[in-house]
Amino acid sequence: MKEKIAVLMGGRSLEREVSLKSGERVCAALTERGYRVLGLDVTPDLVSTLRAERPDAVYIALHGKYGEDGTVQELLEFLDIPYTGPGVVASALAWDKAVSKRLFVREGVPTPAWVTFTADAFKEMGAATALDRVPEVVGGFPLVVKPAKQGSALGLTKVQDAAHLPDALLSALSYGDAAIVERWIDGIELAISVLDDAEGPRVLPPVEMVPKSGVFDFSAMYTPGETDYYVPARLDDTTASEVIALAARVHTLLGCRHVSRADLVLGLDGVPYVLEVNTSPGMTETSLLPMAAAAVGMDFADLADHLVRSALDGAV
Amino acid sequence: MGTARVVFDKWDGRYAARMKDVRSSAVRDLFAAATRPDMISFSGGMPEISRVPIDEVVAAATAALRESGCEALQYGSSEGRLALRAFVCELMAEIGVRIRPDDTVITAGAQQSLDLLAKVFLDPGDVVITEGPTYLGALQAFSAYQPRIVCIPMDAEGMRTDVLAAELEALGPRGAKFIYTIPNFQNPGGVTLTPARRRTLLELARTYDIPVIEDDPYGRLRFEGGHAMPLRALDEEVIYLGTFSKIFAPGLRLGWAIAPRPILGRFLLAKQAADLCGSAYAQLTAERYFGGTRWRRVLQDLTRTYAERRNAMAAALQEHFPPEARWTVPEGGFFIWVEMPAFLDLKSILAEAVEHGVTYVPGDAFFPDGRGRNCMRLAFCYAEPEAINEGIRRLAEVLEDRLELYRAFAAAGAVPAGPDAAAERG
Repeated sequence: MKEKIAVLMGGRSLEREVSLKSGERVCAALTERGYRVLGLDVTPDLVSTLRAERPDAVYIALHGKYGEDGTVQELLEFLDIPYTGPGVVASALAWDKAVSKRLFVREGVPTPAWVTFTADAFKEMGAATALDRVPEVVGGFPLVVKPAKQGSALGLTKVQDAAHLPDALLSALSYGDAAIVERWIDGIELAISVLDDAEGPRVLPPVEMVPKSGVFDFSAMYTPGETDYYVPARLDDTTASEVIALAARVHTLLGCRHVSRADLVLGLDGVPYVLEVNTSPGMTETSLLPMAAAAVGMDFADLADHLVRSALDGAV
Repeated sequence: MGTARVVFDKWDGRYAARMKDVRSSAVRDLFAAATRPDMISFSGGMPEISRVPIDEVVAAATAALRESGCEALQYGSSEGRLALRAFVCELMAEIGVRIRPDDTVITAGAQQSLDLLAKVFLDPGDVVITEGPTYLGALQAFSAYQPRIVCIPMDAEGMRTDVLAAELEALGPRGAKFIYTIPNFQNPGGVTLTPARRRTLLELARTYDIPVIEDDPYGRLRFEGGHAMPLRALDEEVIYLGTFSKIFAPGLRLGWAIAPRPILGRFLLAKQAADLCGSAYAQLTAERYFGGTRWRRVLQDLTRTYAERRNAMAAALQEHFPPEARWTVPEGGFFIWVEMPAFLDLKSILAEAVEHGVTYVPGDAFFPDGRGRNCMRLAFCYAEPEAINEGIRRLAEVLEDRLELYRAFAAAGAVPAGPDAAAERG
C-alpha cells in the first residue's frame, strides 16, 4: 500500500459544494492510484482527527475562506504535515486580490485599473461620497465589482453605469469586508494553470472561456453548456508564449509552489491583463486545471497523483 | 496541436426551450453550505416528522403488505383507491366541502396536481394569475409550460382583490387560464384570505369566467382564529388541492385534487401519461394509518408544536429585529414573511447570513420576475424554539450590520434613503 493521504474538503466556506465535488473526485482518483485515502469534511474535529490518523500528507481540496487564504496551510505546518499547493504567504497574497494586484503593479505585471473599498471606509469614513470619482480612476464603464477575497465569482457584478455601482458594491460587500471595483476588459478570457515539476514551473496549455451570457459568473462556471471552452486557447504563437510566460511569472512572483492558476484577459489592445491567481484550483467535472492537464495527456488521476507526490517528496 | 472545444454536455443545444431558464444558482450552493450541523435553517418548509408515530406507520405498512400484498404491489387505478378517496370525502366534509369519491383523484402530492393542471390548461404565452409572492414549487411547475405569470400583491387580508379586479378588467373575459391561490397561511406570505375577500375573488372569477385553483396544504394547521370556509365550499367549480404531506408525511407522496368532472377527466388523462397510477402501497398504508384515531392526536400535537415555534419566532423577531423590518404573524402553517426596506438586497446578504450560521430563502424566489429581493421567507416549522431565538438573533446581527452600511450609502446620497424610494430601482 502507498502512503496515507487525507483529503480536506467542504468546511464552512461558501464554496462548500464545489469543494465537496472537487474532494470526492480527488479521493476516487487517489484511491485508484493505490493510496490509502481519508476524505475529511472540515469540522472542529479536524485537528484531533489528523493527529489520530497521522496521514503522510494532506491534499487540500478546500476552496474559499480558511482553505485558500493561508489558514489551513498555517495549521498544517504547525502540525508538521506536508500538504499540496502553495504555502501560507503565497495563499494569503493570492487570496486577497487587493494585495496581489498591488504586487502586480509594483512588479510591472499588467492588471486592470481598480480601486478597493472596505466596508469600514463606507461606515466610518464616508467613502460613499466619493463614488463619483470611481469611473475617472478606473477608466470608465463598464466595470466589474467583486469581493476582494472570494472565489468562484460569488458576488461578482458587471456594472454598466454609475446608477448601478452602489448596489453592486453593497452586494459584493455581503461576501466579505472589502470589495474591488475594476475596469472591465473586453477580450479573450484565459485560465492558465502552472504545475511545478523537477525542472521548475511547467505551464499547461491556456484554456479559453467563452461564456454565452457574456460574463463568466458563478452560473457560467458551474452550469455545463453555459460556457464554451477551447484548449489550447485560440492564440497566435507569439501571444501564446507571452501569456504562458506571464502565468509562470506570477506563479513565481507570489511564491506559489506545486500548482496555481492565473486568470487573465487578453485585451483587445493585445495586452494580457492578470485578474487574479488561484492557489486551490477547482477539480470538478467542469474545472479548468484538469481540462488543461488533459490537453497534455495527463488524466485526472495523473494530476491528483502529481500534486500528492509534490507534497510527499518535499518539492517546495 | 489543434485546438479542441471542450464539451461537457454533448446534448446541449437539443434541450427544449422550456428548460432554458433552469440554471445552477449561487443560492443553491449557499444552501449546500447550510448543511453544516451548527447551522440554524429557516429555509426549508419541512414537517416535524419525528412526531409521527413510526410504530403506527410500520403497522400500517406491514398490514398493507400482509393483508393486501397483491394489490399493494400491482398497478392500481389512475384515480386512486376508492377507500382513500372516500376518506378524502370525510376530511373535506369536516371543512365544509361535500364531495363524492368520483369528484377526486389521488395524486403524488399536491405538487403533481400543479404540474398536471398546468399541462391541461396552459399553452405558451397564456396568462396565469397568482398571489405575489407565491409558492416557489407552483412557479416551477407552471413555468415549464411557458405561461405569463401575473402576480397580485397581498395585504393583511390576503390577495388584494381590488388589484385583481383591475387586472382582470385589463385582461378581459377568459383573459387568464386560471387563478392560483393559497388562501390559508399563504406560502410564503403568511397571510390568510378573509371570508369577504374569498367571496369577492369567486365573484370576479365567475364574472370573467376564469377557473380558480385553491391550494390548501396548511389549512388543518391552524393555531388560532376561526376556520375560514374553503373556496371550494363556496363554489363547486373551484379546483381544490389537498395533501397528506402535512397531516401525515411527505415521504408517501400522497395528495388529492378535486375538480369539476370534465376537468377531472382531462386531468386523469394527463396523470395516466405521467405515471399511469399512484403507488397502491402508499395508499393502502395511508388508509390503514387514517383508519385508526391516533392520527388526530398526532395532528393536534404537531399543530401545537408549530404554534410554539411560531410564537418563538414572532417573539424573537420582536426582540432582535431592527425597527425597519416588517413581518407577518400567520395564524397557522409554516412561514413568516419579512419585508425589509427596499434598498436591502437579501439575496446577496444570504452569503453573510450563512457565514453567521443561519439561512432563509430570499424573497425573489417567490416571484417570477426578480421582485422581492428585499424580502425573505422564514420557516419556523423545523427548528426548536431555543434555536429559533438564536437564529433570529444571528440574522438580526447581519441585518443590522448591513443596515449600517446602507445608511452610510444613503447618507452620501449614493442610494435612495427611504423604503419608498426603491420601487423605481427594480
